[in-house]
Amino acid sequence: MHVNYWREVHTTGPGRIGLGLLILVVTAAVLAPLLTGYQPAAYTGAPFMAPSAQHWLGTNDVGQDIWTRLLYGARTSLAVGGGVALLSLCLSILVGCSSALLGGLYDRLMMRLVDALIVIPPVIVAILAAAYLRPNTVLLIVLLSLFLWPGGARVVRAQTLSLKERMPVYAARTFGAGRLHLLFNHIIPDLGPILIALIIQDARRAVFMEAGLSFLGICDPTVVSWGKMMQHALKFVYLDVWRWWLLPTGFTLSLTVMGFTFTGFALETALNPRLRKEAGHADN
Amino acid sequence: MQECVQTRHVPIRNKVFKKASVLNKASIINYVVALLIILTMNFFIPRLMPGDPLQAIYGNEALLVMTPELQEELTHRFSLDRPLGEQYASYLLSLCRGDLGHSYYYNAPVLKVISGFLPWTLLLTGLALVISTLVGFFLGVESGSRRGRPLDQVLLGSIMLFSGFPDFFMGIMLLLFFGVFLSLVPLSGALTPYAGHSGLMLVADLLHHLALPLAALVLVRLTATYLLTRSTMITTLGEAFILTAKAKGCPERIIRYRHAGRNTLLPVVTAAGLQFAHLVTGTLFVEIVFSYPGLGSLLYKSLLTRDYPLMAGILLVLTVVVLTINLLLDVFYSKLDPRVAKCT
Repeated sequence: MHVNYWREVHTTGPGRIGLGLLILVVTAAVLAPLLTGYQPAAYTGAPFMAPSAQHWLGTNDVGQDIWTRLLYGARTSLAVGGGVALLSLCLSILVGCSSALLGGLYDRLMMRLVDALIVIPPVIVAILAAAYLRPNTVLLIVLLSLFLWPGGARVVRAQTLSLKERMPVYAARTFGAGRLHLLFNHIIPDLGPILIALIIQDARRAVFMEAGLSFLGICDPTVVSWGKMMQHALKFVYLDVWRWWLLPTGFTLSLTVMGFTFTGFALETALNPRLRKEAGHADN
Repeated sequence: MQECVQTRHVPIRNKVFKKASVLNKASIINYVVALLIILTMNFFIPRLMPGDPLQAIYGNEALLVMTPELQEELTHRFSLDRPLGEQYASYLLSLCRGDLGHSYYYNAPVLKVISGFLPWTLLLTGLALVISTLVGFFLGVESGSRRGRPLDQVLLGSIMLFSGFPDFFMGIMLLLFFGVFLSLVPLSGALTPYAGHSGLMLVADLLHHLALPLAALVLVRLTATYLLTRSTMITTLGEAFILTAKAKGCPERIIRYRHAGRNTLLPVVTAAGLQFAHLVTGTLFVEIVFSYPGLGSLLYKSLLTRDYPLMAGILLVLTVVVLTINLLLDVFYSKLDPRVAKCT
C-alpha cells in the first residue's frame, strides 16, 4: 500500500519538468547577488539600452538593469508564494482537523463558513483591502491566506475523517490517547503527501495573484515585483524594449507558475490511486 | 378511490417541498453568509482608517473637489456622524435602495457609472465561461478516453503549458502578435467609435473586438475544466456500467458521451461555479490589457484616480454577480443530477 511519492513524482515527465523549473527559480532567487553585479534599484547606465555584455537584458526607462530586477523579483514572488502557502496551510490544518475531530455543531458551523468563503474571489477582496490599507508584502500574504485556506480545510477535513477511523488511530484511542496526541502523532504525519499537494497548489495561486495585484499597482512600492515590471514595460510597448523587458519577465513568471502546475499535477496523479499508472509502481 | 388520489398527490407535493428545502438549506444560507462577509468588509475596512469616516471613505483628493453641500449631503445620507451601528444599518438600507455612494471622478452615482460598463464585462465573462467549459469538456472527454496515447499526451502537455500563463500575459502576447505584429485586430475598445454600424455589421465589429480578449481568457481558463473532465473520465471509464455498455455492444462514441461523458459532467458543473470566481478576476486583468470598456478598465481607472466608492461599488457588484451565478449553477445542478434532489 505504501507508495513512494517522491519517486512517483520525480520519475514522471511532468514531475521532472516541474521540479526542474522550481529548482531553477529558487536557485536564481537565492543566488541573486552572485548572478549579477548590480543592485536592483541602482541606476546603472543609459535608459533603454539593448542587451549587451554589461546588461544581459538591457536597461529600463530609468537605466536600471533588467536582468538584476528579474532575479530580485523572483525573491518577492517566491516569498509571497511560500508565505501564503504556509500560512493558509496552517489555517487549513487547524480548521480541517479540529472540525473532523470535534464534530457536532462546531463542525457544521465551520463547514458553513468554508462554503461561504470559498465562493468569494480572493483577488477582488485583496484589491479592496490593499487599496485602503497601505499595501506591503506581509499584509498581502495575510490577506491572500485568509481567502485561500477554505479549499484546503475541506480536503484536510475529509481526509482526517477517514484517517480517524483507521486501525492505528483506533488502537491509540483505546490506550487513552488524547485528541492532540492523535492529531500530531497519527493524523498529521499521514496527511503528509496531501499537505504537500496543498502547499504547491496554494503557492501557485499566490504567485499568480501577487503578479496580478502588482500588475494593478497594488504592491509594496519599495519591492521589485514581476507584475509591476510588466505593467511598467507595457507603457513603452511602442518601442522595441518589450522584446527584452516585457517578454522575459512574462515568461519567467509563466515558467514559475508552470513549475508549480506540473509538480502539482504529478503529485496529484501519484496521490489518486485510480489515476496512477499501474506500471509506475509494479516493479517496486 | 380517495386514498388512491391522495397517495398520488403526496409524493409530488413532497418532492416540490424537498427541492425547495434543499436549495434553501444548502445553498441560500451559504450565499447570504458570503454576501454578509463581503458587505461587512466593505463597510469596516474604510472605517478602520484613522480620521473622519467621510475622509476615510472618499479619500483626501475627493474631498478637495467636493462642494461642502455635497459633503454635507453624503454625511447625512449615510449617517456618517452617527454611531457605528447606525452607520451600518444606514449602509445596508442604502444598498437595498441601490445607492452605492457617489463617484467623485465621474461626478455621478456609483451604480449609474457601473451600469454603463457592466454589460461588456458580462458579455466577455459569460462567453468565456460557456466556451471554455464546452471546449474543456470536449477535449477532456476525448483525451481521457485515449489516456496515454499520443493525442492525449499532446493535449495534456499543451493545455497545461497554456495554464501557466497569467491571463494578462496571455493577453499581452496575443495583443503583440495579432494586434501589433500582424495588425489583424483592433488594439483596444469594444466597438469602432463613430462607425455607425447597425445590424450584422455591428455584430461583426463587436466580435472583431471581442476575439482576442475572449481567446486569452478561454486559453487560460480551459485547463481546469479539461483536467477535471479528463481525470473524472478516466475514473468513470473504469466503472462497471461502462463494461456492461461495452458488453452489450454499444458503439464507442455513444459510450464516451452518453454513458461516461454524462456522468463526468456533474463534477464539471460543480467546479464551473468555483471557476467563475477566478474567471471574473481574469476578465478584469484581460480587460485592462485590451482597454476593453468593462468593469476591469473601470476598476483600474478608479484605482489610479483613488475613487474609493467607485472601487468598492465595482467589487461589490462583481461579488454579487459571482454569488448569483453560483446559486444558478446550484439550481441547475440539482436538475442535472436527480440524486441530489432526492437524497436530502
